[in-house]
Amino acid sequence: MNSRLRALREQRGWSQRELAGRLSVSRQTINAIETGKYDPSLPLAFRIAREFGEAIESIFLFNEDDT
Amino acid sequence: MSRSLPGSWLRESLLAASVYLLTTWTCVWLLRHPLADAATWLRAGVGLLPVLAIGWAIRVVVRQALAGDELQRRINLEAIAVAALVVGLGSLTLSLLVVADVIAVSGQAALVWTLPALAMGYLAARVWATRRYR
Repeated sequence: MNSRLRALREQRGWSQRELAGRLSVSRQTINAIETGKYDPSLPLAFRIAREFGEAIESIFLFNEDDT
Repeated sequence: MSRSLPGSWLRESLLAASVYLLTTWTCVWLLRHPLADAATWLRAGVGLLPVLAIGWAIRVVVRQALAGDELQRRINLEAIAVAALVVGLGSLTLSLLVVADVIAVSGQAALVWTLPALAMGYLAARVWATRRYR
């Protein structure tokens, strides 16, 4: 799944470590989501969306290839 | 606050594994040399000392597993699954070769090395699983 997480994070000038701290996850998790190697759980996706004040579907972009 | 770092987990795990190996080797040496003819209760006590180190190592792993976030738990699960399969398949292969009289492995050695093999397999699989998500 593609996401706009990196773009949103960089817009706010946050490092991966800073965002990880805000979401109580590891920097490794943020990096894996940004590189598309890991799809977050629904609760974490909601927390990310809430952190950036956007809807989940505007951050995480579903591809038919992901199924 | 962000979750604990893999580096600190690795350091603590390696320290616990080192203490386990050191305790085991010391106990084996004691039982074979100075305590070879000691009373059974003393030999049993010394022989079971590595269990304390194993307990500590298990505590480290469980604590880290519970403190991890969802990705770290997934990595742990994959590492445990891979390690269990590899060690299980390795054990089966060895046992088949023993049955075929190709090699000889004592039951004592097999029992002693089961947990260390599982731990080493887990560490190697964890490194592999972690790299998959980089």
